Amino acid sequence: MKHSQLKEIIKKKASKIEFAIVTNLENGLSEIYEPGKSLSKEFEIYKQQIDNFFKLKKNGVIENTEIFIETYVRPIKVIIVGAVHIAQYLVDFAKSLNFEISIIDPRGYFASEQRFPDMKIINKWPDEAFKEIETNENSALIALTHDPKIDDPALQYALNKKFYYIGALGSKKTHENRCQRLKDAGFNSDQINSIHGPIGIKLGGRSAPEIALSIIAQLVSETYKK
Amino acid sequence: MKNSFDEKILEEANDWLNANQKVVLATVIQTWGSSPRQVGSRMIVNEKGDFSGSVSGGCVESAVVRECIGLIKDNKPCKKIEFKVSNESAWEVGLACGGEIAVYLEKIN
Repeated sequence: MKHSQLKEIIKKKASKIEFAIVTNLENGLSEIYEPGKSLSKEFEIYKQQIDNFFKLKKNGVIENTEIFIETYVRPIKVIIVGAVHIAQYLVDFAKSLNFEISIIDPRGYFASEQRFPDMKIINKWPDEAFKEIETNENSALIALTHDPKIDDPALQYALNKKFYYIGALGSKKTHENRCQRLKDAGFNSDQINSIHGPIGIKLGGRSAPEIALSIIAQLVSETYKK
Repeated sequence: MKNSFDEKILEEANDWLNANQKVVLATVIQTWGSSPRQVGSRMIVNEKGDFSGSVSGGCVESAVVRECIGLIKDNKPCKKIEFKVSNESAWEVGLACGGEIAVYLEKIN
């Protein structure tokens, strides 16, 4: 591979473009594939198979050939509501797991740059903040304020947008009250039951990094269930 | 859904190249049986034998480093190597897990 091609791959990864690298394992030639764009003669004959690998987000060698394909998918978007202590650890875990995090917190004193260096924090109420984030069914929400004024509108937004993972911090009692409010707001029981509350898998820990670990573990597990 | 777990090996390769090191990229291209790392897992090696990333659970990395150094000295741009179940009677490199992997080595230049 040429160094210039490596740089192009890194650039595409950084700009969150979905693409694949196609390599001929015999002669070492490689090329970047993007859907809708043409391939060179070397790889054109495998276009159909490359397309299939790309659609399935699969890596591998095309059967009976020496052509290897590696697909790059866009990072999963995770929206955290509440720039609280747990969120600081979640940001660390998310970095090594390559989740793309946005934090929403209308409370300026929480969402300071010093607490979250190099982090995109939207210092607005959820209804306004979500206008700045492109989300879909492959997005996740982690609500951490356990303040209904802030969490509830975010939860409602995520439910309406059918996020694949929605979790909300708070005790069983807090969660019961939350479920009741969502019911009153017109959400059905399937929707309400899809919320992970109390959030996280049971680890037993109570410290901020331990709770962050239990949340991120649940998020990864749910990602593979889908 | 496939996650985009990314160990930033390519970014590190770029840093190494910018520091004028010679770099070989090793990628797991096929696996059979219970291999520790999935297809697409990566490792980089420089001319001194420093390496980053992984292609197995530590089972074959030393052999991959040797092969990469060999490739740096060679004229060829790439090479494919396969590792099978280890032979217990020798200090031979292999996969104790019982799997098999194919690793593709390529120079970046």
